[in-house]
Order: sequence, then C-alpha cells, then structure tokens
Amino acid sequence: MQRNIPLTICLVAGLMMIIQFFIPHPISTGVYSITTNWVRLISAFALVLGAGSLIIHHVIRLQRRQKGWPYSIVTLAGLAIMTVVCLGWGLKSGRPGDVIYRNIQVPLGASMFAVLAFYMASASYRAFRARNKEATILLVAAFLVMLGSVPIGTAIWNKIPIISEWILTVPNMAAKRGIFFGIALGSIATALKIILGIERGWLGGEK
Amino acid sequence: MSIMHILLSWQMVGALLTFFIFSFLFRDNPFYKFAEHLYVGISLGYTIALTWYSTVWPDLFQPLFFSPASQVAVGQKLLLVIPLLFGLMYFTAFIPKVGWVMRVPMGFIMGWGMGVWIPATVQTTLIKQIQGSLLTPTMLTKWHLLLFGLISLVGVICSVIYFFFSREHKGAFKVASETGIIFLMVGFGASFGYTVMSRMSLLIGRFQFLLRDWLGVIH
Amino acid sequence: MSTEVNVKEKFTFWQALGHIDRRIIYLVLAIVVIVPLIVPLKLMKDVSPRAREVFAAIDNLKDTGKPLMISVDFDPASLPELYPMLISMIRHAFARNIKVMVLGLWPNGTGLGQQALKQAAEEFSKQEGADYVFLGYKAGVDAVILGMGENIKAVFPKDGNGRALDSLPMMTGIRKLADIGLIVSLSAGTPGYADWLLYAQSRYKARLAAGSTAVQAADAYPYLQTGQLTGLLAGMKGAAEYEFMVFQHGFSKAKMTAAPAMDPQSLAHLAIILLVIIGNIGFFADRRRGKA
Repeated sequence: MQRNIPLTICLVAGLMMIIQFFIPHPISTGVYSITTNWVRLISAFALVLGAGSLIIHHVIRLQRRQKGWPYSIVTLAGLAIMTVVCLGWGLKSGRPGDVIYRNIQVPLGASMFAVLAFYMASASYRAFRARNKEATILLVAAFLVMLGSVPIGTAIWNKIPIISEWILTVPNMAAKRGIFFGIALGSIATALKIILGIERGWLGGEK
Repeated sequence: MSIMHILLSWQMVGALLTFFIFSFLFRDNPFYKFAEHLYVGISLGYTIALTWYSTVWPDLFQPLFFSPASQVAVGQKLLLVIPLLFGLMYFTAFIPKVGWVMRVPMGFIMGWGMGVWIPATVQTTLIKQIQGSLLTPTMLTKWHLLLFGLISLVGVICSVIYFFFSREHKGAFKVASETGIIFLMVGFGASFGYTVMSRMSLLIGRFQFLLRDWLGVIH
Repeated sequence: MSTEVNVKEKFTFWQALGHIDRRIIYLVLAIVVIVPLIVPLKLMKDVSPRAREVFAAIDNLKDTGKPLMISVDFDPASLPELYPMLISMIRHAFARNIKVMVLGLWPNGTGLGQQALKQAAEEFSKQEGADYVFLGYKAGVDAVILGMGENIKAVFPKDGNGRALDSLPMMTGIRKLADIGLIVSLSAGTPGYADWLLYAQSRYKARLAAGSTAVQAADAYPYLQTGQLTGLLAGMKGAAEYEFMVFQHGFSKAKMTAAPAMDPQSLAHLAIILLVIIGNIGFFADRRRGKA
C-alpha cells in the first residue's frame, strides 16, 4: 500500500495528462485546468520539505555541538528574522523585508557567483591544455567566441565577430541539437518508466 | 561620496558582505562562513514569506476558509480541499511512522509533470528540431545557406552517431563518430567561451557596485 | 616510514610560465577589471544583428497594441547580466507606450522585477494598472505557464500588490498568453526560457524571445534556428547592446551599467586568453623536459 498508492496515482495522473493533450473536448480541458491549479498549490507546499530538512540539520548540529555549530545559529536566526519580518510587514517596496532583501540578500547572492570568476581564471590557466587535436579545436573555438563577444574583438579584426557568430550558428548549433536529441530521447524513456512504475527511485526508502 | 556614506550606509553593509565572500579566495575563514550561512537563512525566509503571500494565502487559505459563499462557490471550495490535503501530506515527511504518506502528493506531481512534459518535449525538442535540420528549397536560393545547412545536417547526424554506443564504432561509423567529436568540441568550446564571459560579467558587476554605489569613484 | 625531502624545483623561464601562483592570477584579473572601470576605454561602438532582432521585436509591439510580458527567471546572482536587460526593455517599452506585464518564476528574483518596474515607471511617469502591471510570483513553474495559456487571471487573480486583475484598465481584452504580443524570458537557468518554450511556445504558440546568461546562451541557438525563439540577448554583451540601442534611439538618458562594463569585459577576456596560452607554453616546456 505504501508504494502502490503513490505509484497508482502517478500512473493515473501521467496517463491522464498525456491523453488530455490530444483531446480538446471541454471536459478534458476542464480536468486540465483543475489539475493545473492543484499542481500550483501543491508545489507551494513542497517548500516544506526543503525548509524542514534545513532546520532539522542545523538544530541537530546545534544540539550536538558539531563542527561549525555557531554558524547554525546564524542560519536559523537569519531564517527566523527574515520570515517574521517579511510575514509581519509584507514584501512591498520600502518595507523592512524588502530593505533586507535589497541590501543583504542581493549583495550576498551576487558575490557568491562573482567569486567564481577568479577560480575560472585560475582553472583555465592550469587545466586548459592543447594536449591533442580535439582539445586544440575546443580552445580555438573558445578563443574566437570569447573575442567575438566583446568589442575588442572587432578592434583586433572586424571579421572576428562574424566568425564567432558563424561558430555559434552552425557547428555549435549542430552539436547542441545532437545533444538535445540524445537527452530528449533518454528523458522521455525515463519519464515513461516513472509513469508506468518501472522507475521507482523517486519513492525513496525501502518500504 | 562622503565618508559618512562610505562608513554608515546600506551600501557599506553590501560592500562588507561582498568582502566577506571574497575572503574565501585566500582561504576558508569565519567571515566567509558567516556570510554563507546568513545567505542561506535569509534566502529561505524570503522564499517562505513570498510563497505564502503569493500562492498559499490568496489561492488556497483565503478562498477556502475566509471567503463567503457569494464570492467563492461551495463547489470551488470543495475542489480546493484536495490540494490542501495533498499539501499537508508533505508534513508527514518528518514523522517516521507515517513518512510514506508524503509519496502521495509526490506521485501526483511526478505523474502530472511527466504527463505534460512528454508531449511538449516531443513537439519542441524532437519534431521541431528535426524539421529545423532538414534542407529546404529556400536554401537553394543562396549558396552559403545550402553549404551551412549541409554542414549543420552533417554535424547533427554525426553528433548523434557519436553517442550511439550500442554498436561498435568502426568503419564508416567511426568516421562519422570522429566527425561528431569535432562538432562537439566546437560546441563545448563555444560554451566555454560564453561561460568565461558570464563569470567575468558577475565579477565586473560586483566591482561596479563597490566602485560606483559604495565608494563613488566611478559614475 | 617515508622520508620526504623538500627540494625546490628549478624551472626554466618557459616552464615557470606554467607554474604561476594563483594569487598573482587573481591580482591580474582584479587589475584588468578595476582599471578600465575607473579609466574607461569606450570600446563599445556597435551592436550585433542578434540584439537588433530583439529590439525590433519589442519595438514592433507599438503597432500591434499588444502588451509585452517579461518573465524574471533569475535571482541576484545573475544581476549584472540580466538586470540591465530587464530595465532597458521596460524603458524601451515605456518610451514607445507599450504596455508591460512582469512576473517571476524564481522567488528570489521577483523583487528585482518589482524594483525595475518602479524605477522605470518613475522615470516615464507611468501608471500602475494602466501602463504596466506587476503580477508577482507564483509557485509551480510549468503549472503557472500552462495555466496562463488558458487564463491568466485564473493563475493571477490579483496583481503583486493585491489588486484584482479584472479591475486594471490595461488587462481589458487580455485573457491568455495568445493575447500577449511578445513574451521575453530573462533566464539564468531552470526554470527559464526552456520552460516557456516547452509549454507556452509549443502548446499555445506564444511569441517568445529570450535574454539569457552567457552560460546557457550557446544552448539556445537550435531554437533560434527553427524560429521557436524570436531573438536572443546573450549575457552582459546582450544587455550592453540593448542598453546602447535604447540610449542611441533617445528613449532613455538614464546611466548605463552594462555598456561601460564592456571595457573590463574585453580586457578580462584578453587576460584569460593570454593566461591559457602562457599556461600551454609552460605545459609544453614541461613536456619537453619530461615532467608533464
């Protein structure tokens, strides 16, 4: 029962939506609208899983005084304060929640990924070696696209942006399309296996 | 910029947090850890509040419990009971004895999601992309259109052949596979070039904030 | 028990090129980014055909009377690349009296959409409800797009400020995605333009353009070739070009952020290329001496 009920629901929902795609009858579109609305609402609750897991992880770390436990206080305090402030005063422009968002969350988020630029430079320097023909082709294509995507490429030679655009529009496009075909076919097979209950990894656990 | 602005403004807070994150370049340290944990906490708090205000309250709780029958029909309210029940089932994930109940809403979401995704993908990624690969009469009007169309077609076929591992790559198959590798390398090179651009842009954005919005050195 | 003798390796000059300390690389990168920001080189002079396509697609909406819908599918991590696109597009639309609808599929990015709308609306004296509407965020991604394909007001009965969509003058006659002139997804990952393609474009034949972080821009070319995407702005360069065009056409005199960034972007790219070449020289020198 613990596995059969969810698998049955998955099967019915999946087949219903596939069949619905081909039937424009009002009953079919009515079912489609209702279930689409349900999915939006149920998806909102999925946040519970992520939030709950995070809170439990940090509470346990705090209770057991595991390595880095003071930082768990930072996370939990940040979560609590932000939730209370945003729920209490709203998220409109100028409210405390919005002020914290713009002046703390935005700089932190932007900085997290900005620091990757340094690692990218260091990794490119250390790892990108023209060891063979394929690697050389990759590097040449990369250099041309990098130069073509900035104004200095035009300053060096006005044909560089044209060559770069050609690389993107012809060979890159062909390669990406080939990759997409493979991904699409594999993913469709996996999706069908999920609907039919052959693939059960999403159920998790033993029972 | 005045000294007061540099030392006592929200931009100063942003700059300080930026330096905390950048300090990781030297080594992992308490400042970075503090900033990282703070980010996780407040992001989640913001998301919880936004999800409540945007979806859970206006589309579920308000119409179900706080709207009169004149505004929301009984039939509509009954229809909302199901997503409410399914949503509440997610909470059983934290009760070991009944944790399996969480699989019910997950099964619905998975089934529904796969069901809408399959026909959409067949249409968008397979049919349309195959159509795009075909040589058309329009290409015959200009020599470069035909040439580039042929190159693209060869590239697509050879790239797909490269990933076909059910047959040994030898003879003509091997030639096609090796041609596919060349196209794939060009594609990965292009992606790498663009990835460099992306990462550098993010760094430039941060320095613009520090130099313009905080220190006022650039305008 | 092993004994390790720490012998400092002696490199030739050419080998040493492949063993530069990472902190020097960080410093070089910081310098090539900071200096051109303080001392501009003004390298940006022209705009690519790709950016012109997107510009024309939005500009042509003024003749159709249909609104522009912008989906903020990014968060603050992609702010430098996509926020200039967002605000430039809104300014362009306002300058041409094109109605604008903004929504978000990423919870942490929705605030940026609201901020951009508010800023541009003040510059152009536009009225919320009459000239633009901020729909806000809804959970559900695929379900949100599919729901809007049938009925926008069923998904967003109220706007982001709590006002009924039915009461807003600009929403008269706008019922579903087919009534939208152009949807632009400013996308940093998933959900993003790929989801709009899958559901809005394929099922409801919505007209779709994309502004994307450079990381995933190369993946969009198959969709450009088939016409599934009307246009593509890639990364900060795309943002800079759009900003530049809005400025060139006299639609806005607001200060640009992405266009001046093309100077440090150019030098950073040159620096990376030189570093890779230098690293390879060191690698081949090592290989000659039998160390690689």
